[in-house]
Amino acid sequence: MTDWTLDELSRWDEKICEVGEAFGLNWFDIDYEIIDFHEMISAMSYTGLPTHYRHWSFGKAYERTHTLYNAGASGLPYEMIINSNPSISYLMSQNPMYIHILTMAHCVGHSDFFKNNRTFAQTSPELVIPKFKAAAKYIKALIEDPSIGIQEVEDILDASHAIKYQVPRFPGIKRHSHSALKQIYAQKILDDEDGVYDDFDIHKIPLERDYNILSFITEHSRNLNEWQRNLISIVEENSHYFIPQALTKIMNEGWAVLMHEKIVQELNLPDKYHIPFLKLHNQVVRPHLGRVNPYHLGYNIFKRLEARSGFDACLLAREVHNDITFLRNHLDEEMCHDLNLFSFSYKQSQDHSSIDETSDTVGWEKVRDSLIKNIGLNSIPVIYVEEMQKDHTLVLRHEHDGRDLDMKYARKVFDYIRDLWGDEISLFTILENDLWEF
Amino acid sequence: MSTFREHKSIVDRAAADRVRHKKKIEKAIKESIKDVIANESIIGQNGKKKIRIPVKGIKEYRFIYGNNEKNGQVGSGGKHDLKRGQRIGEKRARKAASDNAGNEQGEETYEVEIALEDLAEYLFADLELPDLDKKRFRYLSEDVMRRKGYRFEGIRPRLSKKETLKRKIKRKKRAIGAGAYDPDTDERFPFHKNDLKYHYMKPHPKENTSAVVFFLMDVSGSMTTEKKYIARSYFFLLYQFLRHKYDKIEVVFISHTITASRVSEDEFFQRITTGGTMMSSALEVTLDIIDKEYHPNSWNIYTFYAGDGENWQSDNNPAINLLSSLKEVNQMVVYTEISPNRTHPEEEEDVPNWTDPTFAAWKEEQPDSMWTMCTHLIDSKFKRLLLTKSDQIWTSFKDIFGIKT
Repeated sequence: MTDWTLDELSRWDEKICEVGEAFGLNWFDIDYEIIDFHEMISAMSYTGLPTHYRHWSFGKAYERTHTLYNAGASGLPYEMIINSNPSISYLMSQNPMYIHILTMAHCVGHSDFFKNNRTFAQTSPELVIPKFKAAAKYIKALIEDPSIGIQEVEDILDASHAIKYQVPRFPGIKRHSHSALKQIYAQKILDDEDGVYDDFDIHKIPLERDYNILSFITEHSRNLNEWQRNLISIVEENSHYFIPQALTKIMNEGWAVLMHEKIVQELNLPDKYHIPFLKLHNQVVRPHLGRVNPYHLGYNIFKRLEARSGFDACLLAREVHNDITFLRNHLDEEMCHDLNLFSFSYKQSQDHSSIDETSDTVGWEKVRDSLIKNIGLNSIPVIYVEEMQKDHTLVLRHEHDGRDLDMKYARKVFDYIRDLWGDEISLFTILENDLWEF
Repeated sequence: MSTFREHKSIVDRAAADRVRHKKKIEKAIKESIKDVIANESIIGQNGKKKIRIPVKGIKEYRFIYGNNEKNGQVGSGGKHDLKRGQRIGEKRARKAASDNAGNEQGEETYEVEIALEDLAEYLFADLELPDLDKKRFRYLSEDVMRRKGYRFEGIRPRLSKKETLKRKIKRKKRAIGAGAYDPDTDERFPFHKNDLKYHYMKPHPKENTSAVVFFLMDVSGSMTTEKKYIARSYFFLLYQFLRHKYDKIEVVFISHTITASRVSEDEFFQRITTGGTMMSSALEVTLDIIDKEYHPNSWNIYTFYAGDGENWQSDNNPAINLLSSLKEVNQMVVYTEISPNRTHPEEEEDVPNWTDPTFAAWKEEQPDSMWTMCTHLIDSKFKRLLLTKSDQIWTSFKDIFGIKT
């Protein structure tokens, strides 16, 4: 049951593009794939990527989405877009016209964000699809290789996935190989006139904290063969695709919602589309009780920014900020109060959660800081390689910021890292104010 | 300008990964099987029935922060009446924590649809039952008459027209060859008595694969919910197991206090009653039903009794006598005692299992108990079993059906 044709989609797309350009947006061309419900679930399972290597976790993602959908707990997303050039997006064939209009306008916003936001500057969107395709092909060949097979491939992937976010959080900074870094430090020592490097041990590995555990392992493990190193590198490279997105989730969604609203306002939709559109739009930006809905938060900050400083300020913000700087700069007391944000935590001794701070004059900054601590990659503990000892024992340390690790999970990840590394490892953290070694 | 492409895909790209994930789930199912049998009313269901069972998700471990005071979360509130220290919904807080990117602490559960047959498959694969003694499941045989060859003697209904006609044709050919009969004449060539051949019927042993299972349960006041839970799990597994072995299986549910009655499956597990315990009442009803409906010559009969052993003293002797006569007509009778509070002998290091004499000695301390009194009945057809926890049911199967080592 559809109320649209391909021709109609094209006509609406034309209008949307016209309006988008008039707003000063500048985005990649968008390729819309029209797919059915099952393909949509598949596409979602592989985070929207049209080709992706095999792993059971994507099968799990499929079942999970399917289960949620069947249980009525979740609708299918009406928008999913890949940061590639051209952008790839999906339209679900069962959806009615007004949802397609909203989706297309929304995607223009996302694509514009991908193309203009500074965080994405190093993502080489032209290479995204070929990279994923090559990885998929390589892994397929390993699985089909009778001397390797799926189990061995999974062993490496399972372990690598466990630390896939243990990579530097600042996109665009290239990691130096150990030998390159050694040259840099040798030069520094040569140029050193103040004696800063007098005690510097040029033979230690790593020469400085290495936050990229996956890359460190591929570079220094003595127990991996070539295909295993390549697999780990594939996982590490994939992370670089996702990191800019994780760093800008709130902004990206807020921007896309703001733009689909503004674009659709200019389209003069007939009532039969406009009324259900408004309903859906309101559903998207509603606050989630007890949680933070990134669409709601991002949209409201942009709205407020536009009201105060005009749309040009929004265009600038979408270019220069990431979620952390965006919230630091634009989430003020008034907004925290209006959005009724509060912080809470689980009290183990009482076995329940209770509110710690509310957004009044005294508490709003703490609420904001607490929020910033939990967005995107900030919710993931930072672990770095401190030292590789002479017997190849790998020493890892958790950069403790007041929050203790979940020890059960940490133990499992510890085992994964040891499997990958192949020699002994140790991991230091702080648990209840005491040093803890695994 | 954008482009639009209708995607016509014939391959399900997620299929292989789903299969792989399913394999991992199957493992999880085996682990959570006890929860499954506790939650679903599945006893007596036909094997094709699909049930949905909750399975714990296969975790993808990452470094995450623990859910505690040091790890504050942020939410948005409904009304502007929030106060510090205000307690907030457990579920919501947990959900918030698990929704947070990278924080996957929330316990994931999936509903997996699975056929009962597959479920049984998982159960028994785990038990490694194929290695158990098949002889315990020998089928009763009864003779069935089957056609086997031909004879010149026989009764009219068994006349083989084909063989008879063949003989007549042969004879006719011979007659023509000998010149005794001219086929061109109008004269008929009649059947002769010697042409007649009859089917021969020979008695043939046939395996009988139908079974009836009597589930007897004490539902008196002393049977607590916990005991009933164990009983239920026990009966479910037995049922699945026997169904595995027989084409046709019927189940009779009998519950008893001081009187016994045949009940439906639902009543069997749900009816809460109070009162005393007279085991003999259930045994009498069982014998009566066997007598009227399930002749031992055509049915493999199994009787499983589960109670907590707190039978009335005066009833013990009659019960033992009835058990003894029940044993005569059954393939197997199992007397099961469910005692959650008792130390299971297997947990005591020096008492490896209930067949061990030391355990018998331990039990003999209560000479008047049903447990002790039925000792002399024990043989290949009568088993005695003690369950203190539902997870012992597995191993108990080896005791009941397995090879004695």
